[in-house]
Amino acid sequence: MPTINLDAISKQYGPQAMAVENLDLHVESGDFMCLLGPSGCGKTTILRMIAGLEHLSQGRLSIGDTPVDDPARGRFVSPEKRGLGLVFQSYALWPHMSVERNIDFGLRLQKFSERERRARTGEVMEKLGIADYAKRYPSQLSGGQQQRVALARMMVLKPQVLLLDEPLSNLDASLRLEMRAELKRLHQAFDTTIVFVTHDQWEAMTLATNIAVMSKGQLQQVGSPDDIYARPANRFVAEFIGNPPINQIEAASRLGARLNRHTAARSIGIRPEDIHLARTGDAGTLIAQVESVMPTGGSWVLELNIDGQALQLSTQRRPDVRAGDTAHCHIHPQHLHLFDGDGRRLDSAEASSATPFNTPYMHAV
Amino acid sequence: MAEWTRTAYPQRWGVPLSLKHPATLLGLGLLALFGYLILAPVVSILLDAVHVNFGDAGRIGSPQGSLTLNYLQRVFTSPVSHRLFWQPLLNTLLVSLAAMSIAMLIGGVMAWLLSRTDLWGRGWFSTALIVPFMLPTWTFALAWTTLFKNRSTGGQPGWLESMGIESPDWLAYGALPMILILALHYIPLVILLFGNALRRFDAQLEDSARILGASRSTVAFRIVLPLMRPALMSAMVLILADALGEFAVPYILGLPVQFDTLSTSLFRALSSRQTGVASVLAGAIMVLGCITLSIDLYLMREARRFVTLGGKGAMQRRRPLGAWRLPATLLAAALLFIGVVLPLGTLFFSTIMHIPGRFEAANFTFDYWIGRDLSTVALNNGILLTPEFWSAAWNSLRIVGSASVCAGLLGLLVGYVVTRSPWRWLSSALRQLTFMPYLVPGIAFAAATLSLFAVERGPIPALYGTSAILMLALIADQMPFASRAGISAMTQLGKEPEEAAQIVGAGWWRRMASIIVPIQKGALVVGIVLPFISGIKGVSLFIILAVPATDVLTTYSLRLIDYNYTQAANAVVLMIALLTWGGTVLTQKLTKTGLAQGLEN
Repeated sequence: MPTINLDAISKQYGPQAMAVENLDLHVESGDFMCLLGPSGCGKTTILRMIAGLEHLSQGRLSIGDTPVDDPARGRFVSPEKRGLGLVFQSYALWPHMSVERNIDFGLRLQKFSERERRARTGEVMEKLGIADYAKRYPSQLSGGQQQRVALARMMVLKPQVLLLDEPLSNLDASLRLEMRAELKRLHQAFDTTIVFVTHDQWEAMTLATNIAVMSKGQLQQVGSPDDIYARPANRFVAEFIGNPPINQIEAASRLGARLNRHTAARSIGIRPEDIHLARTGDAGTLIAQVESVMPTGGSWVLELNIDGQALQLSTQRRPDVRAGDTAHCHIHPQHLHLFDGDGRRLDSAEASSATPFNTPYMHAV
Repeated sequence: MAEWTRTAYPQRWGVPLSLKHPATLLGLGLLALFGYLILAPVVSILLDAVHVNFGDAGRIGSPQGSLTLNYLQRVFTSPVSHRLFWQPLLNTLLVSLAAMSIAMLIGGVMAWLLSRTDLWGRGWFSTALIVPFMLPTWTFALAWTTLFKNRSTGGQPGWLESMGIESPDWLAYGALPMILILALHYIPLVILLFGNALRRFDAQLEDSARILGASRSTVAFRIVLPLMRPALMSAMVLILADALGEFAVPYILGLPVQFDTLSTSLFRALSSRQTGVASVLAGAIMVLGCITLSIDLYLMREARRFVTLGGKGAMQRRRPLGAWRLPATLLAAALLFIGVVLPLGTLFFSTIMHIPGRFEAANFTFDYWIGRDLSTVALNNGILLTPEFWSAAWNSLRIVGSASVCAGLLGLLVGYVVTRSPWRWLSSALRQLTFMPYLVPGIAFAAATLSLFAVERGPIPALYGTSAILMLALIADQMPFASRAGISAMTQLGKEPEEAAQIVGAGWWRRMASIIVPIQKGALVVGIVLPFISGIKGVSLFIILAVPATDVLTTYSLRLIDYNYTQAANAVVLMIALLTWGGTVLTQKLTKTGLAQGLEN
């Protein structure tokens, strides 16, 4: 199984349109790498460059030890010779071929014997649960079935690298859950390196072994799902990941000034689940006005106002407050994310070593 | 070429890699081909307009091939310019504008009745009323002469005349019949384009205005009409552009009373060997075409502001006509009678009558179809037993058929290049080049083709009198439609099915053969059959380029008219009508797409 190396790659569509800028990414063999970012951030472009459907403008792309796209040396390996699999967002099934023929097409091109073809198509259709639809045409299939065919069409060639472009975005909620479990299982069963593009953070968090967060053509952070959630490298990553989103407080605001323990910090992030309701006020608590209580099924989101700052709190336990109440909250300094003027994360070691909030001012509200 | 393409596409040995993209190579090939088929004839004829032509050296007093303004002066300022250009120009504009206005008015009302009201037999009428558009324009012209022809010209008299009613010249020939006939021909186009726009109109837009308290008339004039403007304007311009180049109707109804339009004036100049003058006239017609089309392009850009129109809120509600239901239905029926039943009926009856307009049992005969040894000077057999008819029919099928197949395939390839080529200038150059013949009315384009291919140039032998020149001109003439069909089909398909094939290892030829062409089968059929229909009923290209050896149905029937074999001529026209109508119905059955969609693309 090859690794995929992207060295300082750029993609430019016009004089002003930089789709991807000077990006380094290393996908380990056997990885389930997820490219995550809002639409238009260049993640699909990267996928298409790996597949060879787009050319690099600058940089170097290699799969395993082979450089497949290196404009400086004039090297380009065309997509049909890269031996990858790519599942399109729209599935792109060939409407004039039956399911069987769709899956069989690649094997025919590689001149496999009739018997081998039958065996492999049958096996992959069995595995993906589409054997019953072999004779049908794509237009006669549901979205989920089409998605499986698109997947089968690639899996049958046993590619060592499988690229997936938002494969779940056209499915309804329950199918999406089912296919997600399926993808995770396939990754283990087929033993492939998978690069997966999505704008859905939940999908990324649950599926990936590694996540690369992108914004405006630039890589923001690469890391494991837990790492990215717990230690966002900058404000963008902190705000993009998490639902309900992280609370951002300007360091210069009243509340910000009370929480901040770092001179370089310009903004402070607190995840909604890191604000805790307290039964009674004590030295470390903040006093909050409860604006509203929203049940979301299994958890609750509270809108709070602390020092004129709107904050969201989420909890798994039924809160015993109602809109209009005054409540007490805890915020542990360890859970604060501090960012400097450029939005970069400040080392939290300094922040956590700072003194807890026990100044008399806390009670003055 | 833009700077960025070079950065986006790396170079190898100084050659951009994008050049190796199959779409680029194919595109360059197509560019060369259409440069030769489309651009070269046009340039050639424009050059002819300002250079001394063969045979004029003595009269103009400078050697053949030198620059001259003689032809321009002759057409625009000389004493004969009035007859050559200015009067025909006025006539052309009069006929086109009047025909367009009538067609818009009647067609607009009919479109509204058919799509928005509870007219009786709506579905049936909306099919039947389209029929005139499938018939060649001169079907009506011939029907008209069959009815109203008078003693101003020789040959058999019209029915009116035979019944003893004097038919005045203004009724039999000239502006009035031409306007009425062209209007009848274009009404279906308005019904199609305007009716489609009305049907796609999102009812929610109307509802929201009503909820805000707008009255029915306010809604009609403030909401519906402004949103319909692009569709209306587009129909107007399409009609105008088409009417400017109309040849057959003025040829049949105008020439006998010297009512010339630009196209007949051009035809006269060509047949009297004044090629210089003909070139200037062709140039003038092209300029008119360009003006109309640039108006259309401007309007289409305007129309893009209304793209949200194609919402899913279809207009299901129909307005009850109440007491007007019967009169409105009668109106539709009357239009059907005048536009379809009367002309086709007249033509058919004329072919089975010895003496026109005499409805007696003894006067009826099928001799003109299947008779033998008739007592005529020539054409002693019925038309279906005449070898010339079958050879003309075979020529029509052969020449138009192969040209349409070529045009359809080329159109798909143009669509492929336009949607795939990494070089944007190449796509837009191809798109504009293939659209160019649309600016050039058929008769002018035929003259242009003649000017380029009639003599030997380099490795290309003189093609005049061969079927090759007809095919080349036909292919070029059909490219606007074929390439538009190809581009829209390829745009709808998107890149992904092809890319998926590329990922699983298919090379370019394989992708074309196994993916692109099979998927586009339906579009290809439309791209071939619709040009075929318009080619079969077309006159203007053939009248210039065909010689007796390459006689096709249209030129054959026009010659029969010239020799006053009225019944035979009408029979041939009926056969052409049958062919085009059958072709259209077949396309619709095959592809399940309406004619309307085809026209709009």
